[in-house]
Amino acid sequence: MTDKTVFKRFAIGIIAIWLVLFALVPNLMVIIASFMTQGESEFIVWTPSISSYQRMLDPLYLQVFWNSFYLSAFTTVLCLLIGYPFAYLIARAGPKARPILLLLVIVPFWTSSLVRTYAMIIILNANGLLNSTLLGLGLINEPLQILYTDTAVIAGLVYTLLPFMVLPLYAAIEKLDWRLVEAARDLGARKVRTFVSVIIPLTMPGIVAGSMLVFLPGLGMFYIADFLGGSKTTLIGNLIQRQFLSARDWPFGSAASVTLTVTMGVMIWIYLLSAKRANAKVEV
Amino acid sequence: MKKLLIAVALAGVLGSANAAEEKVLNLYNWTEYMPKEVLKAFTKETGIKVKESNYASTEEMYAKLKAGGGGYDLVVPSTYFVQRMAREGLLEPLDHTKLPNLKNVDPKFLDQPFDPGNQHSVPYLLSSVGITVDSAKVDPKTITSWLDLWKPEYKGNVLLMDVARETFAVVQKALGYSANDTDPAHIEAAFNKMKELLPSVKLFNAESPKVSFIQGEVSVGITWNGEAFMGQQEKKSLTFVYPKEGVILAMDTMAIPKGAKHPDNAHKFLNFVMRPEIAAKISESLGYGTLNAEAIKLLPKELASNRIVYPTADDLKNAELLEDIPTETQGLYEKYWSELKTAK
Amino acid sequence: MKGLGRSSYLALVFGFLYLPIAVLIIYSFNDAKYSLEWKGFTWNWYQTLWQNDDLIEVALHSLTIALLSATLATIVGTLGAVALYRYQFSGKKLLNGLIFILIMSPEIVMGISLLLLFVTLGMDLGFSTLLLSHTTFSIPFVVVTVLSRMSGFDKFLIEAAKDLGATEFQTFIKVILPLLMPAVVAGWLLSFTLSMDDVIISFFVTGPDYEVLPLKVYSMVRLGVKPEINALSTVMFALTLVLVLLAQFFLKEKK
Repeated sequence: MTDKTVFKRFAIGIIAIWLVLFALVPNLMVIIASFMTQGESEFIVWTPSISSYQRMLDPLYLQVFWNSFYLSAFTTVLCLLIGYPFAYLIARAGPKARPILLLLVIVPFWTSSLVRTYAMIIILNANGLLNSTLLGLGLINEPLQILYTDTAVIAGLVYTLLPFMVLPLYAAIEKLDWRLVEAARDLGARKVRTFVSVIIPLTMPGIVAGSMLVFLPGLGMFYIADFLGGSKTTLIGNLIQRQFLSARDWPFGSAASVTLTVTMGVMIWIYLLSAKRANAKVEV
Repeated sequence: MKKLLIAVALAGVLGSANAAEEKVLNLYNWTEYMPKEVLKAFTKETGIKVKESNYASTEEMYAKLKAGGGGYDLVVPSTYFVQRMAREGLLEPLDHTKLPNLKNVDPKFLDQPFDPGNQHSVPYLLSSVGITVDSAKVDPKTITSWLDLWKPEYKGNVLLMDVARETFAVVQKALGYSANDTDPAHIEAAFNKMKELLPSVKLFNAESPKVSFIQGEVSVGITWNGEAFMGQQEKKSLTFVYPKEGVILAMDTMAIPKGAKHPDNAHKFLNFVMRPEIAAKISESLGYGTLNAEAIKLLPKELASNRIVYPTADDLKNAELLEDIPTETQGLYEKYWSELKTAK
Repeated sequence: MKGLGRSSYLALVFGFLYLPIAVLIIYSFNDAKYSLEWKGFTWNWYQTLWQNDDLIEVALHSLTIALLSATLATIVGTLGAVALYRYQFSGKKLLNGLIFILIMSPEIVMGISLLLLFVTLGMDLGFSTLLLSHTTFSIPFVVVTVLSRMSGFDKFLIEAAKDLGATEFQTFIKVILPLLMPAVVAGWLLSFTLSMDDVIISFFVTGPDYEVLPLKVYSMVRLGVKPEINALSTVMFALTLVLVLLAQFFLKEKK
């Protein structure tokens, strides 16, 4: 056995064993549960059925999916718009400042997100910090109702998910070959053009990674929407949680989870496929 | 601490089942539902160290135990979960010879249909769902019925709890049905009635309702009495109304989950908290009503006469205890609940 | 002017990130239980906290789990990302799919299914089950971050190293890992963050002997955030900040 195969087997083996044991097996259980029936005194009765999936087709649940999708997508776009220049500036800072800035980004997130969300309630509520500041400055005459609106929910989600955008972006931007950028400039490209046609394509993997790490967890995140939005909208995360706890309907909860995963999987697959095709065209 | 660790390790190795139990009790409880000083007093007296873990809803606790997660010696389920958990074999039967203090409990609350003969549970504290009113904004005298919440003047100022079961129970009572009614037609009527209330609702509280009242975000709302009591400590104008159609009652009980490793210690603890002076201390410290008749006599006057914690017999006229309902009905509640919050 | 614009953008975003932290620090000194109005300064909540030895113990539990699981996830995740990027093998698509599924899984689904797995395996719930679970949900975050840095990697560098006679392992340690370092660090930080903030999965996979802080905080917050929790968060924040600064200082000294 050459040393290459030893290392290769080790690297592949460790992740494969871990994922099979702690991701494949539990998820197979979820898939199996989704095809079973709910019982009166057992969470799962071993009678195969596709009724849970049929129930997913109810327009009500489609609406729930759409609400979650929309909220998460909106959050992702905002995180990208705020996070890209931010990550870019950190990556362009001096080599000494970089690690400090990076840590400063993450340190606030070591405080419980619930406690931070609560602090946002203090800031946003009718007699809160934001309103008193705006009133004091004479910018508004009456307190704004921000808490328990979509604005508060989006602000909360962007806040919570921002580091998941910034860190992958930073890792991707930091390795940029700045000689390429200089070259583009030397060739007379203007700043905007350099940015759009050189920097963005080169950091695309970071953009995709960051967007995935924001968008996918964002879909299941619901307690922020509940806290800051007054839980007036059912999101897919609420729905699944309620099926497992209050409704005691594990098959339906599992089916909702499987449907969510498959839908997103198909969407990402289509995206990757079209991205590959677009790339192929460019190379030709 | 080291000795304790050795003891734990030894107990594990020897698998000593019936020998004297190690001096540990794993209590699985709601948050802040057992004063620290009571735990300390128990440890001081018996040498048994209490390790408390918390859950935020009975559903979570039930799901975890049912899925096989365990290691707890004592849980605190509400009445309707006692019924279900006992039926499904999740609770150990109690040994009444080890619980002489059960005699202190008000007989009114013993031997209830949810647990005949108290085979599996002993009553702990009583709470009720009524209407919290901020008297600085709304005259509490104008609110006597659940239906008063539908009045147009409260538009945008109403708080509801984010739990389907209790809220449906309230609206069913408002419509004259039982809180435990499982007739789908009646539940649908309650759902339609709730839709009418929706424009008035400012929020479904996912966190603690008292905070929204203290902040002044809402002026009336459906809450537990304990929330009103704790809110009142911070904001004097908060008060609690028992609507005439009857409030929803929930009795929290203590029970020993199946497979508990320290059942003797659990019995000792149950007997301990049923002592009048301990039960009184618990009620005083938490602001929930004790079910211990002897303890009530020991309470300070201002607490015993506080109608939020200790309602009068008149307040509890028509009151109803939540019972276990079929899974199918619970599913229906949840579906309507999602619909309520999704319809635009 | 340009530099000023850049600094002010950085300052603005940092301000956004730190504003809630500032608010909770201020409120940890507020002499009121639930009120959001300022009612005077007090040390009271820090005293209450100090007497609450349970909270300090669970905070240490959480730090232990977070440090260990982040490190474990970073090792497995980085090796995994390198394997997924460099090698062709059967089952590669399955592993990619599983990573995606892990990011996607709603917490409650992962929590309950892992609980069922551990119960089936006959494991005692507590430290080990928590560590395994936290590592599991952190791995994909490391893999995705490391992979994104690796794509577009200069393959010639690796070839060059091998031509010079480096073994596969040496190439990994001496060439690949240093190039990946920023992503490895970012992945570790994300994992640590996830672990310190997880509630639902921890709820299901832990037992009475190993309570963790987010669980305690979560159940306390359900009753309304008390200044005591703000005080605790402030202490934790101050501690992490000091640790971070110390680490910075010592790392610099070494250089």
